[in-house]
Amino acid sequence: MVKLQNIRPLKNEQLEKLGFTWHTDSDSSRYISDTLVQITQDEAEAYYEAVNEIYDMYAEAAGYVIENDLFFELGIPFNLVDAIKKSWENDVHWHIYGRFDLAGGVDSKPIKLLEFNADTPTALFETALLQWALLKENGMDENRQFNNVYDAIRENFKRLITLFEDTEFFDERYDGWKILFSSIQGNDEEEATTRLLRQIATDAGFNTGFEYLQNVKFDENGIYDKSENQYEYWFKLYPWEDIAVDEPELATTLTTIMQNQAVIILNPAYTLLFQSKGMLKILYDLFPDSPYLLKTSFEPLKGMKYVEKCAFGREGANIKIVGADGAVLNEQGGEYGNHKKVYQEYTELPKDESGVKYQAGVFFAYEACGLGFRKGGEIMNNMSKFVGHVIV
Amino acid sequence: MKHISSIASKIALGSAGVVIMSVLAGCEQKQEEQKQQNKFLIIEQQAGGKYVVVESLPTDGPSRALIREKDANGNTVERFMNEEEMKKLAEQEYKKVQDGTSETVKSGESSAGMGLGGTILAVAAGSLLGNMIGNALMSNKNFASRSSTANQSAYSRPSTPAGAPGSAASSSSPKKSYFGGSSTPASAPSAAPSSSSTSTYGG
Repeated sequence: MVKLQNIRPLKNEQLEKLGFTWHTDSDSSRYISDTLVQITQDEAEAYYEAVNEIYDMYAEAAGYVIENDLFFELGIPFNLVDAIKKSWENDVHWHIYGRFDLAGGVDSKPIKLLEFNADTPTALFETALLQWALLKENGMDENRQFNNVYDAIRENFKRLITLFEDTEFFDERYDGWKILFSSIQGNDEEEATTRLLRQIATDAGFNTGFEYLQNVKFDENGIYDKSENQYEYWFKLYPWEDIAVDEPELATTLTTIMQNQAVIILNPAYTLLFQSKGMLKILYDLFPDSPYLLKTSFEPLKGMKYVEKCAFGREGANIKIVGADGAVLNEQGGEYGNHKKVYQEYTELPKDESGVKYQAGVFFAYEACGLGFRKGGEIMNNMSKFVGHVIV
Repeated sequence: MKHISSIASKIALGSAGVVIMSVLAGCEQKQEEQKQQNKFLIIEQQAGGKYVVVESLPTDGPSRALIREKDANGNTVERFMNEEEMKKLAEQEYKKVQDGTSETVKSGESSAGMGLGGTILAVAAGSLLGNMIGNALMSNKNFASRSSTANQSAYSRPSTPAGAPGSAASSSSPKKSYFGGSSTPASAPSAAPSSSSTSTYGG
């Protein structure tokens, strides 16, 4: 049973002042739960260890995919293959942050990898800031949380300059290179997430700018904001696979920009490999004995309950839960139905006493750095709620 | 256990932490603007008499500059300039910006370098004259372009990330926008408004 602790919620007015406007879901329910999940120090440590190990496995598996040319198997659009290879070849294409979705880790249930949101993860604002604010507002000990997200991402921005070396070298090596941050206009959550990342980069010491995606200008030699200021880095909270499909000409231009070493694009193109759920199958092939991996195949699994996922489905869309007898037990529609399918062994999510299920999200920025939970039904979707945690 | 509890007894959330604290305490205030770093500049006079910055290093102390010039006999002589002298030159140049005569806001062959005052203003306006003036100047397209070419050190240092740009030659190819952006030529396939403008990508 997931153990919960009631807390005083943050008021909508407070949340809005923080820039967090998406506090109410479309059914008028509050998005931020007024409970915290209680975890132990050992459980926090176990999430930390698991995610670091899983990231290492992803890095090895990505090398394997590139070496063996398995892009098609992962559903990677052909017009991004060159960009992925280029980004993989040079460490300057540094992965800023990602979020692993995990089953288990509490209530004596083993940690199992569900998927890796490596390219455009959200829930950042909640995990990095609101988690902290919830404890603070309730007069609780701030030490009792697994939340180093802000600091870890700030340090990781510095590694764009120092790479694997000590980030203390940042100040002496940084020479004014600018990062442009972009999201689509009209989506509060994405814009606030992008602006938060910009703030973290600014705190790290970078010169930064923000421009909505539709106003960003591109040519073969660079990326510019509306006023034609040129930037050396571009962070886009926009999925690579959507660029490939919806803006194929841009995919070509970005590849050329990388070829010309004009701009470094974040998160790097290789995070699309991580993002593909096809990687879950590659991981299982390469590391069948890992305690963190569920059996995964490109064919429906025989004789066991499994989950059918799409290579690039998001927010729980196009997920199907199928029983051992082949009967569909639960299904969610969506727009990703024509993507390649992946079949992952089913695992039970931990439940609270009213039967609500909990899924852990652990952020990674060079190392595992923070935890948050989502609660909801069998398939987590965009109506599921954010739940903070406290280490007891 | 740094990763678990690094927030202990300090505001580890940087500027965001300050905002949160003040909102929770009911006394929010405007966020501080980005602080400008003081600079140590090495400025070299070119054959044509114009100046370019060949090295620009951040410094904790006041801004300083080392000026390398040629004397009448063609020998290189070096002199130091302190922050006050730099400020004075920058202020003089900024006055010229205001009456439109400064070469820092003129378009043209930016590779030729500028006078000493122009060069200093172009690369250190923010740290010498304050953030507001620095930002205002950078929003001028010509100034921004002058600023990036006046500083020849930015992309040529050994520690430059290998993927960072070489000082990009100003391109003659037209810039384009996507995602339904207004400057995309109507004939381009990407001109169609992106259908995904309301989706959520968080996964």
